[in-house]
Formats: sequence, structure tokens, C-alpha cells
Amino acid sequence: MAENGAKATVTLTIDGVEVTVPSGTRVIEAAEHVGVVVPRYCYHPGIPTRPAQCRMCLVEVEGRPKLEPSCTLQAADDMVVNTASDTARTARQSVIEFLLVNHPLDCPICDAAGQCMLQDYAYVTNQLESRVDEPKRIMGRDRISDDILYFADRCVICTRCVRFMRDVAEDDSLIVAQRGDKAYIDTFPGRELDNPFQGNIVDVCPVGALVHEDFVFKARSWDMDATASVCPGCPTGCNVTIDTKENQIVRVKPRHNAAVNSWWMCDYGRKHLVMTNRGVRAEVPLIRDGGGDGDDGGELRPVDWATALDWVAEKVAALGAPGGSAVVSPDASNENLFYLRTLLDRLGVADAAFRVPQGETAELPTVPTLKLRADRAANAAGAGFFGGRRADGPPDGPAGGALVVLDDELEGAGEDFGGSADFFLYLGTRLPGPARNADAVLPIATFAEMDGTFTNFENRVQRFHQALRPPGLARPGWMVLSRVLARLGDGEAVNDVRGAFERMAAQAPAFAGLTWDGIGLKGAPAAGSAAEAAGVAGPAEAGA
Amino acid sequence: MPGDVKVVERPRAESSYVRAAAKGMSITMRHLLSPNKKTQQYPDEKWELAPRTRGTHRMAVHEDGRAKCVACGLCPTVCPVNCIKLVPAEDESGERYAAIYEIDEFRCIFCGYCQEVCPVEAIHLGVHYENAEYSRERWVYDLERLVEQEHDVTALWDPQDPASQ
Repeated sequence: MAENGAKATVTLTIDGVEVTVPSGTRVIEAAEHVGVVVPRYCYHPGIPTRPAQCRMCLVEVEGRPKLEPSCTLQAADDMVVNTASDTARTARQSVIEFLLVNHPLDCPICDAAGQCMLQDYAYVTNQLESRVDEPKRIMGRDRISDDILYFADRCVICTRCVRFMRDVAEDDSLIVAQRGDKAYIDTFPGRELDNPFQGNIVDVCPVGALVHEDFVFKARSWDMDATASVCPGCPTGCNVTIDTKENQIVRVKPRHNAAVNSWWMCDYGRKHLVMTNRGVRAEVPLIRDGGGDGDDGGELRPVDWATALDWVAEKVAALGAPGGSAVVSPDASNENLFYLRTLLDRLGVADAAFRVPQGETAELPTVPTLKLRADRAANAAGAGFFGGRRADGPPDGPAGGALVVLDDELEGAGEDFGGSADFFLYLGTRLPGPARNADAVLPIATFAEMDGTFTNFENRVQRFHQALRPPGLARPGWMVLSRVLARLGDGEAVNDVRGAFERMAAQAPAFAGLTWDGIGLKGAPAAGSAAEAAGVAGPAEAGA
Repeated sequence: MPGDVKVVERPRAESSYVRAAAKGMSITMRHLLSPNKKTQQYPDEKWELAPRTRGTHRMAVHEDGRAKCVACGLCPTVCPVNCIKLVPAEDESGERYAAIYEIDEFRCIFCGYCQEVCPVEAIHLGVHYENAEYSRERWVYDLERLVEQEHDVTALWDPQDPASQ
């Protein structure tokens, strides 16, 4: 900002590379522009306070007698910064040596091993031996909340956790107790750590001092696969990384997205996502076609996909457009909802009710967009785009015509739900009791088992990716529905989410102009949404 | 005609088997009566194995009989043939331990990486090779069986000269 005659940008030299950054930028951030990551512990881009207390990011600035902490040092014109000079390196090595004096070096059993900044920097500085003969101080571990463990010996007292709670969550229940080598993180006397966003202190911890209890000793960092995804817990749609091991979700971490969740996510989202893929699943297509060994012909029988799809397409073709009703899940992806809408239009079904469970809300005071919202569903906005109607109470089947259910658990539905419909098609990840009345059950994948997009509360379309293999014969809903439609002569069977998304973008006005690649990993506002009107950069504009 | 074949007459002295047979018998007799016979009466007599022989695994234990393994997961990571199965867990005192630890000795190529990588010197190869079994399943050694092994452990390096200099 050109205030008091100050320039909007400054140009400085870092490690011999000239870089121009907005004025007010700290040197540690400017260095990232030229690809230099200055070692740091206490600095975190998402935490506003910078105490410069870890002394890890010291850099040499020409013309200044002492080293300067780059996390607080403002970039200035003509500044010549050297992050890797001998003096800076020696200072860093001394810091590491000090930190390792009391560090237990229990990397073999530490859950942060492989993703630990102390481990990384100890290797980088080649700190192989300790010059200290004294025994290490031993503090043991503590439970600082009902689900977070604190391993005091591993802690480097960077105070990221304390400052996250105090400055981001505005909850001063965490403190640094004692001083010097006896310092440790604890809850303030008489206070408890029970903030709905406290899980983030585990993510900001640069070492393995803070660990979620349900992750302790679960998986080594190199055994896990990370997949970019979106939290389905509420309409906020926090960007997350799902860590999987042996086809199980073992951990969920927030992924940075300045427009949605900044660096954080709520604890409800973490726990909800891990539980998403548990439980008994529908794994095989079932149809009630009168075949099989039963002579009554009234039983659902398991068949292969080709048989099931042929039969469903045949039934749909025979029905024509009888009308009826549909129940959809607000957790279904945009592509699933789009293909379902296409099928419903063919059947003449206008109404698609969706029910959104409600829960308590929680806010992170300093990040206005990040909120645990009352709606407990990922894609109510998407369901709205495709003719969905928000409904309350248990679903009731129509008195004739077609009934199509997309992944709704049918809670509260009567035992004879759908019994009076001419044709009852159930697409679901699970098989609740009332779904057994269906004429055909097609097993589909959960969001973690396929690629797709959700639309969040401000109509931001965000991509998620396949983290797990679906069980049995379950397949993504768009893959299944596109095949039913292809058999009816409507479009092609798609195997790739790009194909599904392209068709959706071409036919659904809300997604006009969006492309799968253009959305990228950060999402883009849907056409005509408030976010787009406000001028949030999106590929729709970039492409125009 | 496939060219000219040269027919060589063998001298009578060489073509007779009597001389060779007598020579062979003399060697046999010499070894039979020799005081330094080399024939080993296996299995009554066992091989003397070098201290670096890499054979059947063995798990080291603490004084109270618990396996030393802390389930860090380095041996299944480093194992080139994926013959180690490890499931870590937490015991009552909050320590990390191996809830499941199995080595498939059939699949193992006895490279010794597991012993080399172990940060707590728990898993070792052993100076031992006799592990014939009647079923393949018996070749998968679980933690209990690895602890029960009594043979010497392999010296992967000379303690006096660990870097082989």
C-alpha cells in the first residue's frame, strides 16, 4: 500500500537471487519465492505471532554485525541476505545441538519419524554426536486433552501449539509451564483443553511431541499414501489430505486453501472422515428379476454388473416416464447427482428430496470462512443445483411410478418403504433395511473411493480424489449411472471422472465453463455463485 | 563326405583301463587308511559354521523375557523380499511393541539387512541352517518362535573393526 510514500514492493537479494516482493513481507517468506526454505520451528505461516524464539531461521544480512531471525525481519530494498553462509550454518548447527541435548532420539518409535523437522535438520546439519556427558532429562508423556498425547521429551518448545490456541483459536488454555530445560506444554491450571479445533496443534507440531491418541503407533510415515481430498463433514468443505495404509484411512490432515479453511480443520471433520468408510457395505449388484433358483421369483439375487445394468436399463425403458419420487443423499458428489438427475428426467421424476442431518456449530474466530456448520453434509448445495428439495422427517415412498434412492440411509422409513412403487431403484454404499424392498440395488463407492467434486456452502466446486479401493463390486455412482444411460442411448459410458465432469459442465448451467483441470486442487466458484460475483479468481474467468 | 577325419591310434598303454583302475583304487585305499579323513558324518557330526554365517533368525529378549523389538517398522521397510510382517501396538504401559511379528524363512534371502537396520539390536540372523519342516506354514516364524531360538546370532561385522577397514 502506498501509504506515507512507502513503496508497494521491495527488491532484495537472497542467496544471490534478486526477488521482488510486496513490502512488509518477511525475509523467510521472500526466501520461499526464490526456492529457499529457511529452517524454522516457531514460524508457521498460519499463526500470526512470530516470537522468533527458536533461533533456527537466523540468516546473515550484509552490513549487519549480527545474524537476524528471518521470520520477523522485514524485507527491505537492497537488502542482501545470505541464508547459507558459514556463520548462519554454524548458528543453526548450535541450535540443533542444543535441542538434541535432551531429545530422546526415539525416532524408531516416534510417530513423526520421516515427517519431523528436528530429524530433517539434524541430518542436514550433520549433527552426529553429542558433546554432552550428562544424562538426558526424562519427563515422560502426558495426556493434554481427551484425544491428544504430549511427549514432553520430544518437545522443542517452539510454542506453535500454544500460539495456535491463543492467537488463532483465541483459547488460552495451553501454556508453557516451567522454564529452561524443564519447560513443557501444559493446560493452564484449572483449565481443560476442549476446543473444537484443538486437533490442529498436532499438525503444527514440527516434531512428534503432540500426537493424536488414535494415531499413536498406527503407521510409519513412509507406509502411508497421501491423497488430496475434501472433508465431507459439513458444507464448509475443508481441503484435506487423507493418509491411507493398506486400504484404511489412518489419518486426516488439513490441506492449505486460503479461500476455504486456511491451514486448519475442525476435530469433528477429522473423526467423521476416519469413520466414513467403516461398517458393512453393499458390495454386489442385486436385482429382483424373477430369475435365480427361487421359484417365487420375488427374491433379490446377486448378479454381475452387465446383467444388473442391462436389466435396470430394460426396466427404465419399459417404464417410460411414469413420474414418482426420489430420495438423494446430500453427501453424493456433483457428478453422481448430475447423472441421477439425467435419469430422473427420463423417468419424469421432478422431485428429489434430500435430508440434511443437523449438528452443533463451531467457529474458528480468526478464520471467518472456516466454521463447522450445522448442516452435516458435504454437498447440499450440489443437491440443490440438481432439483433437490430440502426435506424433513422420514421419507415416504410414492404410491406408484418410479422411486429412486441415491445413497440415503432411509432412516425412519417404514418397513414397506417403496413397496407400492412400480420400480424401486436403490443406489447405495450400504444396504439399510428398507433398501431390501428395492427391485434393484446397485452398490456404489463412497467419496473416499472415487474421484469427484463437491459444492461447498459458498458454491465453490472442489475436487476430491480416490484414496481407497472400493469394496467388492462397488463402483463410483457416475460410472454406474452413465452405463445405465448409455444403454438407453443417452451419452457414453464413462470410466474417467473427467468424462463425467465434462458432460456435467456442458449440460448443467451451474457448472458451465468449469473444467476438471481448471478447478485444480484449490477449487473454483460455480457459475453465478456469490463467490464468482465477488470476483474470486476462478478458471471460468481465466478461460474467458 | 564330411571332410577328412583324422583317425588317431591311441597307445595301448593309455587305452587299457587296468592301469587307471589300479591308480584309482590306490587313491581310495590311501584315503581310507589316511588319519585325516574329510568325510563328515552328518547329521551325527555338525558343520562348524563361520561366525558370519547368515541363517535362521532369532529375536533378542530383555532380561524379563520380553522381545526387544519396538515395532519401529524398519525391517519390513528395508527387507528386499517383503518377508517380514509387522503390526505395531501399544501395551499397558504405553510402550510400542510388535503385536504381530512374522518372518517367512522360505521367502527370506538371508541378506542380513534386518539385523543391520534394527535400531535396538532385536532381530538377528543366526548361525543356524537346519530348519526343515513338513509344511510351508511352519516356515513362517512368529515372534514366540523367534524368541525361542537358541542358536548363536550372526556377527555381521567384526566388533574390533566395524567399518571393515
